[in-house]
Amino acid sequence: MAQTTLPVDNQMATARQTARKRMPWARALDENRFFPTLLLVPILIFFIVWNVVPLLWLLGVSFYRYKLTAARPPSYVGFENFIDIWKSTEVWGLLGRTLSFMVLTVGGATLLGMLLGFLFWGSGKLPGRRLALTLLFTPMVLPPVAVGTFFRLIYDPIFGIANFFTQLLIGQRFDFLGNKDLAFGATIAVDIWMWTPFMILMTLAALGSVPKAELEAAEIDQIPWLKRIWYIILPNGKFILMLGILLRTIDAFKTTDLPYLMTNGGPGNTTEFVGLSLYRTGFEAFQMGDASALAIITLLVAIAFASIYLYVLSYRETRAQLK
Amino acid sequence: MTQNPWRQRLYHTLLWLIALAFFSPVLWIFLSAFKTVGEIVSPQPVFLFRPTMDNIVRVVTGPNFLEYLKMSFILSIGSVLIALVVSFLAAYSFSRYRPTGTNFIMFLLLSTRMVPASAVVIPIFLLYNVLGWSKTVHGMILFYAMFSIPFSLWILKGFLDGVSMRYDETALINGGSRLHTMFRVVLPQVKPGLVAAFIFNILFVWNEFLFNYILGGQGSTMIPVLLATGVKQGGMTDWSFIAATSLIYMLPPIIAIYIFQKYLLVGMTFGTVRGEV
Amino acid sequence: MTPRDISRVQADLLRSATERGMSRRQLMVRGMALGLSATALAGLISAYKPAAAAAQDSPLAGKTIDMTILGIAGWPPSRLGVDMANELFKPFAKETYGYDVNFAFEEAPFESLFQKAATSLQSGSAQYNIIISDSQWLGALAEPGWIVRLNDIIAENPDLDIKFEEAAAIGYRIYPDGSDNIYGFPQEGDTIALFVRQDLMSDQAERDAYKAANDGEDLPQTYDEWLEVDMDRYERVCKHFTRPDDNLFGTAFQWSKVYDFVSCYAYPFMWSNGGQTWDPATGQVEGILNSEVNIAGLEWNKKFLQYAPPGATNYGIAEEVDVFTAGTVATCLQWSALGVQMMNQVAGEAIGTVADDTRPVKPEMVLITPPPGFRQDDDSLKRIYTLGGQPWVINAFNDEDHQQVAIDYMKFWYQKDTQLEFARRGGNPTMVDVLEDPDFDAMQPQFPAFKYMIRENRSQDFWHDPNYAEMLAVQQEAWNGFLTDVVPDAKLAMDYTACKQQEILYDAGRSDIEASEACNDISI
Repeated sequence: MAQTTLPVDNQMATARQTARKRMPWARALDENRFFPTLLLVPILIFFIVWNVVPLLWLLGVSFYRYKLTAARPPSYVGFENFIDIWKSTEVWGLLGRTLSFMVLTVGGATLLGMLLGFLFWGSGKLPGRRLALTLLFTPMVLPPVAVGTFFRLIYDPIFGIANFFTQLLIGQRFDFLGNKDLAFGATIAVDIWMWTPFMILMTLAALGSVPKAELEAAEIDQIPWLKRIWYIILPNGKFILMLGILLRTIDAFKTTDLPYLMTNGGPGNTTEFVGLSLYRTGFEAFQMGDASALAIITLLVAIAFASIYLYVLSYRETRAQLK
Repeated sequence: MTQNPWRQRLYHTLLWLIALAFFSPVLWIFLSAFKTVGEIVSPQPVFLFRPTMDNIVRVVTGPNFLEYLKMSFILSIGSVLIALVVSFLAAYSFSRYRPTGTNFIMFLLLSTRMVPASAVVIPIFLLYNVLGWSKTVHGMILFYAMFSIPFSLWILKGFLDGVSMRYDETALINGGSRLHTMFRVVLPQVKPGLVAAFIFNILFVWNEFLFNYILGGQGSTMIPVLLATGVKQGGMTDWSFIAATSLIYMLPPIIAIYIFQKYLLVGMTFGTVRGEV
Repeated sequence: MTPRDISRVQADLLRSATERGMSRRQLMVRGMALGLSATALAGLISAYKPAAAAAQDSPLAGKTIDMTILGIAGWPPSRLGVDMANELFKPFAKETYGYDVNFAFEEAPFESLFQKAATSLQSGSAQYNIIISDSQWLGALAEPGWIVRLNDIIAENPDLDIKFEEAAAIGYRIYPDGSDNIYGFPQEGDTIALFVRQDLMSDQAERDAYKAANDGEDLPQTYDEWLEVDMDRYERVCKHFTRPDDNLFGTAFQWSKVYDFVSCYAYPFMWSNGGQTWDPATGQVEGILNSEVNIAGLEWNKKFLQYAPPGATNYGIAEEVDVFTAGTVATCLQWSALGVQMMNQVAGEAIGTVADDTRPVKPEMVLITPPPGFRQDDDSLKRIYTLGGQPWVINAFNDEDHQQVAIDYMKFWYQKDTQLEFARRGGNPTMVDVLEDPDFDAMQPQFPAFKYMIRENRSQDFWHDPNYAEMLAVQQEAWNGFLTDVVPDAKLAMDYTACKQQEILYDAGRSDIEASEACNDISI
């Protein structure tokens, strides 16, 4: 980054030159001791209108029996919606399935992403590197509708190109999305394909934040690679990598588009995840009470994950270390 | 890493193969944009075919396409710009004044991403009805701005933390106002972060479907909704429509990634670049 | 748009299309949106002339009303409901009632149309004046008071007291089941039909091979012969054409978990043998749905999977069109409304016009017949298949003006001539008068089969309860689960479905019958 490495004094000169004129209202602002708080007003407005209000609504409704398409008015039921979820074997199955989906897809994308990220790290001299990386990142920007619809075709036993290749290579065709033992894995594979590029991006960024000097020193000292990763790369890149994993974890836990479009949760219930079930409860059955309760639970799980991540990271400490 | 030209060449070939492997499903969709439906849905995959431009022409001249495309640009750019301004103000405050609970608030904001979309779309719809914002452009823009704020805030705060306090101090001592310091002195220092946050958030807004479908109306609808409604034509899957629309719709983000790639990589470092990206 | 504009736009379109070298199919699809010839239009308008004084009487005379119809995206019958409104009803309303009206079409994908409608209606919005809904949604739309109960309107407007085929008159109109509350008008009628590759059936080598393998029984050749085919014989036909090595299979049904696909194609195996869905009066499901007959029906349905292409458990409407027009299946059970698409021909054009040359199946290769019958104890054949199609309903939040226009439009829509025009363009009408028209059968290739199946209650709908979405979701999951071996046996799938549905109805206060103790141990 060119700017930050410029001699600071140069920059200061620019600052001095341009810092002449002062507006009266700007002066008033300067003397206002609430200035730091004032800067936060817009973001807090956004936060309250688009986040707190809907969340309070969700929390409130989760204590009601409230069906949008029923004639009877909402009735207060206390914790009944939560108790129903607690007792329901389906919901536990759902949560378990979602968790294993999340672990596998995030784990897969992270491992693959880190591996490929490392591989691309030294690719500075790669001819057409910019184009290669652009192509590598395209899965991320494909519209979800196109992903879901086209992968149904790609996986199709009759028309699918995936089966054309399996036929060619091992002489067999698979009903990827219709077979109960394959559908889960096939869905995960698509998700990993879509999000590995993101993890590559995060890995490259993480590697970019590793001080060059330390690496060069390690090179000179001939420190083994594993040690370099453990002692130099991870401490420096941990924060960025973990943030990438965190974002993916949150999104994977509420995955809806992909199973909805590819398998609709099938065969049977093998790819039925929390996000999909939430969509059905809230948006097909319009059971707002049940859906809100499930949403609150989902949110709590997500917050729990995030807290664990941040604890592991001990965010502040890492930042201090980086300075 | 290595001086051996053969190893170097092998290494480069491998990298290109990986990139192409990830691109290949996308390529298959792109190719389909130039095929007839019979060639797309064929028991024997069709690799060689006479490309037809019919699909592209049909999509571009189709009802609403250009209008929705324009809306995609307006909504994504508008919302992300607003998000950047709002996040920059907040990030500046968090970075420079460290108000109590900074980390907690930052975490809280990230939690907006944790709520499942299908759960909050109904309360937001009801809220919008009360405010009279449903189906309006500003309603959509403001919503997507919220969508983009948490990540922008995190990126910008990271970058601002990396900008020395001496900038602010010098500017203030030399008689610059606080606003001047913020926007004319500090802001230029975090340009890579701004660009990265911009690109990254646009990628999310660009493909958003559910909220746009429920909250948007004529005049505030983007292409993903068109894609979802156009998937079926006459009860059949309109393969060439999806392929052609996806192809056109993916070009702007792909070009953006190509042009701003450096920023994207730098941006994700949250302002902690010390080596090669 | 005035008729003049329409013809001008049409001319422009034609010119620009020929310049760009658009395919005929695309041209046709776009041309359809704009209209039919001026002569047909004039004929239609003059065909129906109410009292001449009407124009002065209408309280709306001189006003301009904008109407919005919410319908299924990419579904030609829905589109016709709007196109015909703008092309035919608009000039008609101007002349007859003296007001200007414009119709806009809001499209939503079928699976999420209800969400779009419900979120809007929930806020008391009259954004969509007329909504093309699915028949199962009637309860969910009527119960909260979102749509108009039509009994009084029909009483006031004798023109709307129309005789529909009974299956349609119940399936698209009545809620609650068994009552006489009318909430909808049939927009598009639909039934299941059998699509047959006639070229394969009449191939001499195939016939010889089939005869040799089946004690001299021949492959069915004509519509009338297919009428006599029962499920066992149909299975033999399917088996004969199942040759995975040649990439040819006997049949395809809809087995997908999406929306109501597998339910619609499994019910016939239950109903036709005497099975029931539930008791609408008491809301009892358990003990009715999971009866022996129904369990056997589900198993019977699954039996046909072995004659279907791999991947068939994900087949819905669209997948069937793809697999059939690709020449991969010899027969296919599919909605008759898809006649044109299944035959690979262009809607609205002369029968036999090929839509996509690169697809191997061409219109002349396809025969459309009623689906196979089920042999009864008295050796007769019985067919009770699932009713498809959609009603349209009127928004209860419409103001008086929009309400009036909606009613006027309905009156126009159910004129015999309008309905015949609808049929000519590919829609399936359900008015008795129209079906009995001597020209009717020849208008579309699917009409004879459709007419046969819509009559004499050979098709029926399932529940219209407001809780349909939850009931359907568990059923789809369990039945598709059984087909894909996720649920080991049919009895478990049916027991689970019945228990869950009973629970849903009881919890919602729709039924006093609680799910039995045995249900606690059942899970899939």
